[in-house]
Amino acid sequence: MKNNPVVMDRILTNHTSFIVDLELNFNITFIIGESGSGRSTVFSIIKEKAVFDKRIRCYNYLDKNLNYKNAIKRSKGKLFVIDNADILLDDAMRQYIAMDPLNQYVIIGRNPTGLMLGQDEIFEMDSLTKDNITEFHLRNSF
Amino acid sequence: MITIYKQKCIPKDMELISLNDAFFNSYTSQWLDDRARDIIKNIDDSEWQGGNSIKSRFDGTILNIDRLSTGCKTALNIFYYTHTVFDIRECGDNALDIIYGFEHGNIYCSYPLISFEMKKVKVVDMNGERELSSYEDLKEWWINEK
Repeated sequence: MKNNPVVMDRILTNHTSFIVDLELNFNITFIIGESGSGRSTVFSIIKEKAVFDKRIRCYNYLDKNLNYKNAIKRSKGKLFVIDNADILLDDAMRQYIAMDPLNQYVIIGRNPTGLMLGQDEIFEMDSLTKDNITEFHLRNSF
Repeated sequence: MITIYKQKCIPKDMELISLNDAFFNSYTSQWLDDRARDIIKNIDDSEWQGGNSIKSRFDGTILNIDRLSTGCKTALNIFYYTHTVFDIRECGDNALDIIYGFEHGNIYCSYPLISFEMKKVKVVDMNGERELSSYEDLKEWWINEK
């Protein structure tokens, strides 16, 4: 859909020797990639940041049996970071997210079907380790 | 060779597991042996330290094995539980390459997820089971509703 981000255009946070610096150019940022590229590590670091930044809400497979869908639909002005999206997001939820003008999304998964995304809204995780500091960034997948 | 099931054709005595993270953390992690080492190295580029520890690919720190990627956990679930069917929808291409090379294992996905390195697989649908050895044949089988 290529809408501008409604909550934040950057996630920048530290966790011990890790730095997560994600530039968010669109309201939905879909992160694909190989297994083990660090996506779930980044998710856990952002989840820690959410303790201090109330605009961020994080969901993963541990929330599968919780009422996360209604929580999303009742929200306004939140950045939802969703890991294990292939498990958590059914077709109806993907359609809702695609049309949601009130909240922003970072979605980690494999299959972006139903989110109405262009290729430039799909990213992979890049990491660089230097002097024992590992930085995570996004790069376009296509 | 691995076996791929259509959902309605999964035998009643076999369970379908979709939450591969939770299954691995609760069950498979208890059974890891030296055979897991190469799987972990090839998918996550991490070193298994024995027991419940891995060496991180990023900074070399020792992590609990629950930090493996979902794709790596799925591959290990398939490898160690050969009488259970696992949903592979969260696997990256590198994990798929390893899974399709297993001598045994049972997988399911609602849409085609195929390794370009596949050689031969067994498929199970309403018509029974048979072997397929080409990417195109497997893709066609997968998108066929039956």
